[in-house]
Amino acid sequence: MTLTETNQEAEAVASGDDLRPETEAVASGDDLRPATQSSASQWTPPTGLAGILSTGDHRVIGRLYIVFSLILSGLALIVGMLIGIEQADIDGGFGVFGQANELFQVFGLYRTTLILCGLVPFFLGLATAVIPNQIRASSVAFPRAAAAAFWTWLVGAIAHIAATFSYGGLGSFQADAARGQSVELTVLSLGMIGLGLLAGAGVIFTTLVTQRPSGMDLLQVPAFSWSMLVATGVWLFSLPVLLANLVVSWVDMRGAGTLAFGGGEAPFELVAWAFDAPQVYAWTIPLLGITAEVFTSAHRSSPRLFEPMAFIVGAFGLLSFGAWAQSFFDSADPLADDAHIVTNEVLFAAFALAIAPVVLAYGGWLAFNAYSAGQRPQITPQFALVTLSGALLTAAVVTGVLRVAEPALGVLREADADIWRGFFDAMDDLEGSSLVTGMMNFAVLGGLLAAVAGLFHWAPRLLGRPLNAPLGFLSVLPLAGGAVLVGATDALGGFFDQPARPYEAGDPPYGPGHFDEIDALGFVEALNVIGLIGYIAVLGGLALVALNVARTLAASPGAEADRGGPE
Amino acid sequence: MADVPVGTPLAAPLPRPRTLLVGTVFGTAASLMYFAALLGVYLGERSDALSEGGEWIPSSANIQLAPPTVAAWTMLMSVVTMQWAVYSIARDDRAHAIMATALTTLFGLSVVVTTSFQYTDMGLVADESIAAVLIYTISASHLAMIAIGLVFLLLMAFRALAGQYSSRQTDGFVAASIYWYAVVFVYVVIWTAIFVLK
Repeated sequence: MTLTETNQEAEAVASGDDLRPETEAVASGDDLRPATQSSASQWTPPTGLAGILSTGDHRVIGRLYIVFSLILSGLALIVGMLIGIEQADIDGGFGVFGQANELFQVFGLYRTTLILCGLVPFFLGLATAVIPNQIRASSVAFPRAAAAAFWTWLVGAIAHIAATFSYGGLGSFQADAARGQSVELTVLSLGMIGLGLLAGAGVIFTTLVTQRPSGMDLLQVPAFSWSMLVATGVWLFSLPVLLANLVVSWVDMRGAGTLAFGGGEAPFELVAWAFDAPQVYAWTIPLLGITAEVFTSAHRSSPRLFEPMAFIVGAFGLLSFGAWAQSFFDSADPLADDAHIVTNEVLFAAFALAIAPVVLAYGGWLAFNAYSAGQRPQITPQFALVTLSGALLTAAVVTGVLRVAEPALGVLREADADIWRGFFDAMDDLEGSSLVTGMMNFAVLGGLLAAVAGLFHWAPRLLGRPLNAPLGFLSVLPLAGGAVLVGATDALGGFFDQPARPYEAGDPPYGPGHFDEIDALGFVEALNVIGLIGYIAVLGGLALVALNVARTLAASPGAEADRGGPE
Repeated sequence: MADVPVGTPLAAPLPRPRTLLVGTVFGTAASLMYFAALLGVYLGERSDALSEGGEWIPSSANIQLAPPTVAAWTMLMSVVTMQWAVYSIARDDRAHAIMATALTTLFGLSVVVTTSFQYTDMGLVADESIAAVLIYTISASHLAMIAIGLVFLLLMAFRALAGQYSSRQTDGFVAASIYWYAVVFVYVVIWTAIFVLK
């Protein structure tokens, strides 16, 4: 026996089966089973549906996350499209929704589905499938917990959508017994989604902290792994707050009558912070890691100055934590129209402004890496996607800065009112306008583009072979173009006083006189038509991505994933 | 690296990944954040109600300080027994470790009983005031946290009975103790914020 062998043995003991039974035994497969288990050869692992339902293989769980999050993202975009159709005729409405209550229900559903059923699980799926390989671990830390997290999330997501379409939603304008039960189910199912995502985040966090080989410290993990560490850390502090909000709502609903947290729009108000700045940035943190990896890979180099980049991602995560920005930490009436405005506007503005230089610094880091590589990038679909997703995140941050411009620049207004009056007037009332929706769409759709880029980048490991590049390029245009249209039209509409919440209590939701405060109504309606085209384009782009994935899987039947490709 | 013949001193053992410990810390931090949010809402609503000159806890309710104080002391005693269990398993004293875990479990159960008694005694109707909704939400969530802690403790005790933990491998007990200390900490905060301040 040599020292090399004894060292290998020591490492095996240190990270081996006896000390990490959950890690190793479940997800490994036959190659890691002790050879002495002769009876194992007689046992055949379940295949088909039974195999999928009982799997603890991190790659399978990761693929399941990705497939279902793609489907649910598509559903969210269809819901967004329906809202877009209704908004295309603000003055009269196209009658998609018979009552304002229905529009309110899908308004909430669009946000919960796009972010908590689409974007976040997409990132978790990529992480579950890719990160063990990136840090040279055999599996994730708790494979069975990863499976439980996935199924909890999926059942919650399906129940959430079903409950919302059963006249549920996160609250309602009118409460009756039947509707109350559907609202309760909506709230409970959203709690399940949050619990599943929290457990999934815990698995990734623990994997990154404990499953690295000896000698690999946290600043030596790839950029995507680092960004997931930061993301899961921020989600750890955000998702429990979301769960607490939902539990309070649900308990209040259980009484004979609701008091403060379960009635009217209160359930949505309680969780609205999760779909607003700064928290909306927190859901997109992995975008930074994927962009770093794809960008440097396209330049055929490895990331230079990793530590500053890690610091930037950490700062972005810190500034994107937004659980404090909720209405019930505000001394104002939480059910008031401006409930989502926290009293401490200085803090709110400070967060929005401080994140801008962080994103700028990240752009600088990318530019430095491109310059250092000394060669033109290899143009791939994933490179195009991450470039555009970075642009969308920048647009989101700029929109966020504009949103807080009024309180942030209020001092200047007082100092020199004449020169800046026109500018400040334009900035008035942006808070509460559709600019807020534009910011959310920029950030979330940018994150979605980055997740799709990750899918292209790691396809050889995830699917067994690369995705089709021409079809990939074909999907980039509608995805990116559509995302820009969706975000930009909402943001622009905000400058014409289009409200963030496209409904008012009434029956039907739209009609003459409902939105008199909107300037240039015809122009805003034209913007909304363009936004509708954007939704259709993004949906088409996602369909092309799904087609690409299906085509790749069909072209390599039974192909075992994890065959090379970038780590 | 060149191969070295047998007989050369072994390399120092590499540190073992403490998966369960890190996972438990993650779960514990999430639990603390959950209660921080609930208590934030509670204190915010209470502050609003009092600043408007209204009453917070309905005058019809009779919330005595004695039962939660007894429960708080019981929880604090369970910290000692929990640490006793960790200390014992670290010294291969499995019998004492199991006995200390059983005592901790008993303390936890007695807090459940005390809280149940208080529910029947305090006359707080759940759907009549915002304070009642929040008090029941927070205290029932804490009961759930205790229940999870008890399951965790029993699991570790049964594993110890089966000979799994020893001075070489104490992670299970240490993880359970971290979670349990969080359970106790949350109760002390609840006792202060809800029952002492009222």
